[in-house]
Amino acid sequence: MTPSLPLTSLVLIGVGSPAILLVLLGAASLVNRPLPERWTGSLAATSMTMACGAFLVALAVYGTATSGTQLLSYGAWSASHEGGTAIEFLVDQLSLGFAALSTAIAGVVSAFSNRYLHRESGYNRYFVLLAMFVTGMLLVALAGNVAVLFIGWEFVGLSSALLVAFFHERPAAVSNAFRVLSVYRISDAAMLSAAVLLRHVAGTDSLSLLFGRVAPSGIGLTPTNATIIAVLLIVAVACKSALLPFSSWLPRAMEGPTPSSAVYYGSLSIHAGCFLLLRAAPLLEVTPMARLLAGGLGALTAVFAGIATRVQSDVKSSLAYASLTQVGIIVVEIAVGWYTVAFVHLVGHACFRLLQFLSAPNVLHDLHGIRDAIGNHPSTGGGHIQRVASERVRQRLFLIALERGFLDSILDRLVVAPFIRFARLLTHLDDWLCGAVVAVREPTVPEGAAHDE
Amino acid sequence: MSDRLSLVALAALPIAVIVASFLRIDVERLRRLAVAGAIASLVAAPVVALSPDLREFSIRTSALSYVPGGEAIIRINALSAALLPFAAGLWLLTVAVTPRAALDRRGVRRTALATLITLASFLTESAVVLLALSVASVWTFLSALSDPAHRYQRRVVAVYLGVSTLLFALGVALLVSPGAEGTAIEVAGMWLIVIAALVRKGIVPFHAWVPEVFDHGRMGPAILFNAPQVGAYITVVLIVPRASAEMLRVIAILALITAVYGAALALVQTSARRACGYLFMSQSALVMAGLDCTSVTALTGGLLVWLSAGLAFAGLARCVLMLEARRGRLNLTTYHGGYERMPLLAVSFLCMGLACTGFPGTLGFIGQELLVGGAIDAFPIMGFAVVVASALTGLAVLRMYFSLFCGRSDELAHPNLRLGLTPREAWTFVALVMTLVGLGIAPRALVDSRFAASDDILRQRQERMLKNSSERPVVRVWERRVAPVTTKRG
Repeated sequence: MTPSLPLTSLVLIGVGSPAILLVLLGAASLVNRPLPERWTGSLAATSMTMACGAFLVALAVYGTATSGTQLLSYGAWSASHEGGTAIEFLVDQLSLGFAALSTAIAGVVSAFSNRYLHRESGYNRYFVLLAMFVTGMLLVALAGNVAVLFIGWEFVGLSSALLVAFFHERPAAVSNAFRVLSVYRISDAAMLSAAVLLRHVAGTDSLSLLFGRVAPSGIGLTPTNATIIAVLLIVAVACKSALLPFSSWLPRAMEGPTPSSAVYYGSLSIHAGCFLLLRAAPLLEVTPMARLLAGGLGALTAVFAGIATRVQSDVKSSLAYASLTQVGIIVVEIAVGWYTVAFVHLVGHACFRLLQFLSAPNVLHDLHGIRDAIGNHPSTGGGHIQRVASERVRQRLFLIALERGFLDSILDRLVVAPFIRFARLLTHLDDWLCGAVVAVREPTVPEGAAHDE
Repeated sequence: MSDRLSLVALAALPIAVIVASFLRIDVERLRRLAVAGAIASLVAAPVVALSPDLREFSIRTSALSYVPGGEAIIRINALSAALLPFAAGLWLLTVAVTPRAALDRRGVRRTALATLITLASFLTESAVVLLALSVASVWTFLSALSDPAHRYQRRVVAVYLGVSTLLFALGVALLVSPGAEGTAIEVAGMWLIVIAALVRKGIVPFHAWVPEVFDHGRMGPAILFNAPQVGAYITVVLIVPRASAEMLRVIAILALITAVYGAALALVQTSARRACGYLFMSQSALVMAGLDCTSVTALTGGLLVWLSAGLAFAGLARCVLMLEARRGRLNLTTYHGGYERMPLLAVSFLCMGLACTGFPGTLGFIGQELLVGGAIDAFPIMGFAVVVASALTGLAVLRMYFSLFCGRSDELAHPNLRLGLTPREAWTFVALVMTLVGLGIAPRALVDSRFAASDDILRQRQERMLKNSSERPVVRVWERRVAPVTTKRG
């Protein structure tokens, strides 16, 4: 079926609005002439409202006029020759719904941030990164081919890491941002590797074929290749959504400003992986091993995050682990094939957690208000683990939760330290090679002597 | 007529600056003259590149070759069309943002001479002329390391690049010898030129001089010597049309190892200069890997990465030099802060670093996308290697950015200390970033021109292969293994 013109235009307006905002604010930042706060806030509000409106209307147009997934093609972008990147969007209720949700949540966060970050020195930088994030989320939601999906994936990853380092004068924020980025790069590499394999074995990068309701053999994929691609996608999703064993970056990401934590780790970015799994459901259905892996990771993550959230000493980390618990459950729902339940869960959880994150700075104020109103401390609830586990088991669980599963130290010991040792060894080898060819020892350079250009 | 004038101006402007450097002109005025010359070159270069009249222009001679009809010692074709503005842009970047203390009279002269040599190299396809220009560029680079403080680095460079030049000379001698075409002599000559190009480009295992000269040598001349990637040009003009598939495969494998090796080592360096050296190795190797594929798409990707990596890397390394001019030698194990005082430099550094990693929205993304997409069919391992190299490069660049601009409050710095950029520096960086991002957002014209260049190169290769197979049965063993050339247009 030929896509209708209104649908094509509406999707273009929806994706284009935050993209134009990104270009405008980015150019102003580049020349170090940021727009006044009032302009930036108004532009962001207009852009998000336009995008959200366009997607809601597109959803209505789609519901009344068409059925089934449609591929909207906007032509070749990078070249008029073969091998170039084409701009293609895959449109159905799932993608339009997620796009509308993303822009609505981004609009709320944008309005909140406008006051929250008032007169903050990085105000303009924050909105540049928010615009990059929204553009990225929309590209992930609507991607019709691997290149578009990857562009969106990268935008989300970079903006996330730079927002974690938003308060860049704090060393902890910067070092945590680098940790977050390291895990995201694994995610990017896994996704690109899946794309490379797909293109090599099937000769296509079309997501409408990979995620369509056709058997993998129909596009030239053997069961083994399909499983490898699905597993690589699950690794990409696990990194982006902080599933085990990549969960350790999540509490570190709480260094960013609260509105960015809300939109990334409460509502949208953390669900991007779940959305991708929903998109890849047809592929998962024919790869039982990958499905089992996704379900297993989701279940383990839900249990781990459920325990970890109870011992966090700050409200944002506690909320982040609570989000992760729900994300784990959503992944399990996708793995068992409850797609509608998973999507409703995702939408509900994203909205609920957004509210919790945005009200987190007021939590003590709210608590005092409740106490004043009822004249007593509100009941705390909980105590479920205490009822079923022995003291010894509880102590061990407490230690694991407190140390966040020892994931950081395991990663440092098994991956980071050996890599650094090996790379430094190679650096010394290079130095030695230089000395060997000239048969002279390198003179020691006095401190400050080599400042010349 | 104006097109020919532009061509003359392109050569005359660096010569004028060289001549002026011998006159009694104040150094600051000389520098302003060099900036004006570089801007004029940047205006003239696209006129030359886009001129349909000059596309047919060539000066041929048979004195330097035994090829029937001779070789073009000067010609402008699809390949050189984008390389001329690229070389002029690098000259402008160098003279506009090099700190005043580091660019003396001899420095201005050297940059103009290096640019002249680079422009001349991009205008020729003659092996003998390329050899002469290669000798001149190595001599220019060595002259920049002539002070006693850099004696060790001068020796290292002299050994590596001296051997490279010697091998190049021997290879050219074998290549142009009578009756060599299609024989084992040509193959031997080709291998010598291949090794010479690998050494010049710092491909593993011939790479050790690159990080050394960046770290302890003079980084400015090193950027100007390496960023244009004349080694890649030698590969495209002399090696790709003649080499067997096996030869190209060896080069591509070594280049891919280097791409991953350089990116991995850049990630753990404690010195910002050395990290730049390894980053350059990685980027330069990606270009080489793309050029050594016999797919038109991958070759186009390689040509685009050449431009994007050259500009982005040169800009990134210049940012490091500017920071050094303000703070002294930069160590990556601590946080230096300063974003609030130098936001433009920080944003430029980040954008150029992202262009190096192939981040979407920059020219690097378009190049890497085509490189991976084109290479997958013929050489799938290349796709995975580029993915790993890109991931590691991204981490290395962000680590540098965080270390050099973040992690410390500006209150620690002296409040009266001026760290911002001068208008000339600021506009140069803004223009460079806008070029990289602009070409990343609207790449069609440039990509199509690079497709045309790739088509030309592969057509030459195919013609040569067909000619050899019809004339000399002995070389048919290679041709059966040569991957088919794809020139279909979609």
